[in-house]
Amino acid sequence: MPDSNFLSAPLWLIEVLHIVTLSLHLIAMNFLFGGIMVLLFGQFEDKWNNPFVQKYIKMLPNAMAMTVSFGVAPLLFVQLTYPRQIYSASIISGWYWLMIFVVVMIAYYFLYALSFNKQTPTKQKIYLSIAFACLLYVSFIYSSVFSLAEKPDLYKLLYAEGQGGTIINPEIGSYLFRWLHMLTGAMTVGGFCIAFVGRKNEKAFKVGKDFYLWGMVAAMATGFAYMMGLGPLMKPFMKSPAIWLVTISFVLSLGSLHFLFKKKFAIATTMLSVSFIAMIYTRHVLRKLSLVGFYDPSEMTVNAQWSPFVIFLIFFVLMVGTVWYMLKLYFGKQE
Amino acid sequence: MDYPFWDIDIGYGIIMAAIAVIHVFVSHFAIGGGLYLVIAETIARKNNDQLKLQFLEKLSKFFVLVSVVFGALTGVGIWFIIGLLNPAATEVLIHNYVWAWAGEWTFFVIEIIAALLYFYGWKTLSAKNHIIIGWIYFISAWMSLFIINGIVTYMLTPGDWITTGQFWDGYFNPTFWSSLWLRTGICIMLGGVYALFVASRLNADEFKKRIVRFNSLWAIGGLAIMIPTMLWYVSAIPKEIVDAALEANLTPIKAMNATYIYAALLAVLLIVFGFLIPKRYNIVVGIVAMLLALGWFGEYELMRESIRKPYVITQYMYGNGIDVANAEKYQEEGLYESMEFKTDDKAADLFRRACRSCHTIDGYKPLKPAFDGTDEAFITQIIMGTHVIRGNMPPFIGAEDEAQMVASHIYTQIDKRHISEIYNLEGVALGKKVYDVRCGKCHVFGGFNDKSESLLDLTEEDLGDILDMAGDFADEMPDFTGDEKERKALIDYIMSLNNKESN
Repeated sequence: MPDSNFLSAPLWLIEVLHIVTLSLHLIAMNFLFGGIMVLLFGQFEDKWNNPFVQKYIKMLPNAMAMTVSFGVAPLLFVQLTYPRQIYSASIISGWYWLMIFVVVMIAYYFLYALSFNKQTPTKQKIYLSIAFACLLYVSFIYSSVFSLAEKPDLYKLLYAEGQGGTIINPEIGSYLFRWLHMLTGAMTVGGFCIAFVGRKNEKAFKVGKDFYLWGMVAAMATGFAYMMGLGPLMKPFMKSPAIWLVTISFVLSLGSLHFLFKKKFAIATTMLSVSFIAMIYTRHVLRKLSLVGFYDPSEMTVNAQWSPFVIFLIFFVLMVGTVWYMLKLYFGKQE
Repeated sequence: MDYPFWDIDIGYGIIMAAIAVIHVFVSHFAIGGGLYLVIAETIARKNNDQLKLQFLEKLSKFFVLVSVVFGALTGVGIWFIIGLLNPAATEVLIHNYVWAWAGEWTFFVIEIIAALLYFYGWKTLSAKNHIIIGWIYFISAWMSLFIINGIVTYMLTPGDWITTGQFWDGYFNPTFWSSLWLRTGICIMLGGVYALFVASRLNADEFKKRIVRFNSLWAIGGLAIMIPTMLWYVSAIPKEIVDAALEANLTPIKAMNATYIYAALLAVLLIVFGFLIPKRYNIVVGIVAMLLALGWFGEYELMRESIRKPYVITQYMYGNGIDVANAEKYQEEGLYESMEFKTDDKAADLFRRACRSCHTIDGYKPLKPAFDGTDEAFITQIIMGTHVIRGNMPPFIGAEDEAQMVASHIYTQIDKRHISEIYNLEGVALGKKVYDVRCGKCHVFGGFNDKSESLLDLTEEDLGDILDMAGDFADEMPDFTGDEKERKALIDYIMSLNNKESN
């Protein structure tokens, strides 16, 4: 009988696809989640009647649609390379994990309710807060489950304690800063998105810019705290190429901050994007380091399925082309 | 065994069905609704039918909310739940079909963006561009179906893949094409039924009459495609799978018959309220039509899932996630040693791994009523012979001492009183219950593994001898371990059948 324990393409290819699609997901997610944070906590003038705020609110359901759509592929690729870790950790927290799609649906509902009809200021605040709380839940469960997935000994121990899927990774200290880093990172990019969307509105631009600055400070602080808490992983991490990526990411982030302040969006966006991908790759290296001694995906048999892969590649190009064409139709001159 | 077991009170079948049936009910509408919208819009624009265009705009709002939000997220829900309920099978699917899934994702992205642009484009796009985006939406949505259909059908009929392991052998499997066209028919039918639901809220005027008739015609068109393709689909399922179901597991057969009933009821409703009295197609009728369509889909999915028993991937992996290739090894060397996730209760661990995917003790597909009033030896023998009892169950994949442990685990949770006490029965009624509990798992009079011919002509004494020797007839046959009262009642019951036969 066929052995299904194989990778259907070289590992590096799957990892590249994982990182590319995860980047797309996180950009959409940060636009959404970070944007909501800035809208909720930013000092906009007459916030709930502010045309810019209304404009951004109307974009949120679409951002949610993109976040969900772009989230499917990286989840697929990470499950392909780390199936045992991801499934095991998610089963330990089964109910919390399963509730993610329900909670996202609730957030979606409130974002559409905001977007379709102009609500009273109080309702806007409540609806946006509910959506924020829902996404906060999702972010926490993701951090909890994915950090648990890196600790095979722990999830086996936790399974012995309870099999009902009601356990949340108890070693909160090990992922608290990781989670906070994701939150502050989302807030930072959310600030960037607000500044970009509001580039012609000085007040909105200032709010976005401030969040980008202070969000970045907070993200650096939490990122540093997370790094300091790596414990035994610190040494191999410092010796890995990822440390250079962190450094590059740090420098590029500062560069993008500089260019955003000067409203040079093209270069600011490029620097931020490269920095973003570098951070995602760093995360990827950390996962590998955490699992040393337990699991190494590079040891899996590669049984490449090239013809389906080429078809996927054609579909991928078709996707990019079709989306481009549709946007051109939508934003182009109408006959 | 590389995965922990998610031990929840709800039956796996129920939680899976709850998410999956709702998802397919919405996702198929997302495809058929897309075709409906773009064709109806083309006709309406050609006829400059403003009322219909207004209706379609309203429908597209409902369409986006249902398909983009509910459809997409329940789809994510399926991803999550299959990983929780059967991670081993999900891993097999991902390793073999990751590129199919990745390809499906590209169309999913196009579909979502096209749906949003179509919805927002009513006021901003030219008619031509709006219709182009509508077609892009439908084609990408149908391509998603095309791709996923290969994976879903592979699970029931893996075809040559089972020997070659080749991607395309499993993908274009024996039920691929019939399932694809059947599902396309379902999509079209659902497009009409959902559009009828939205139309049901319109005022009862001439426009309503017109749109309800159009939508009904659309839904009937879908049903018309479904009938031959359903027959094609069923005939494409390999004979041995159908025969196994006919012999030992009537659930898929009953479910298939139920789909015909639901389809017929829906057709009648559409003819009466859709064509004869369209103005009376109100919200109640709209909901009933939706429920009938949902009922149809529920039964179809039940048929598809249950006919696959005892496998989750036919001939490759059992429903409990144990791969067929290793079954023999686990039966010889024991299952427990292969398990990575253990608690301090070995029997409970084995029970979870071997039985719990399908059975609970006293909830979904409960074991307690099946074993109440019996004993540990009987339960052990039944466990060792699961592959021959009704319902197309997998064999017990473990060593004999492990079967005893599982039996002991079940025994501690059942009612240990005698059957007569538990059910307060005497005489023939008690005998029938004893038969159901102790014999009926493998032998049904006039049904599965019928023993009427060899039992109904026997004398009381002969029947007593048979019970005394029961365990000697076959390896899987348990000894009769009931008490004297049960023994006598059982003989009386069989004798009573004998008398009925004579009369």
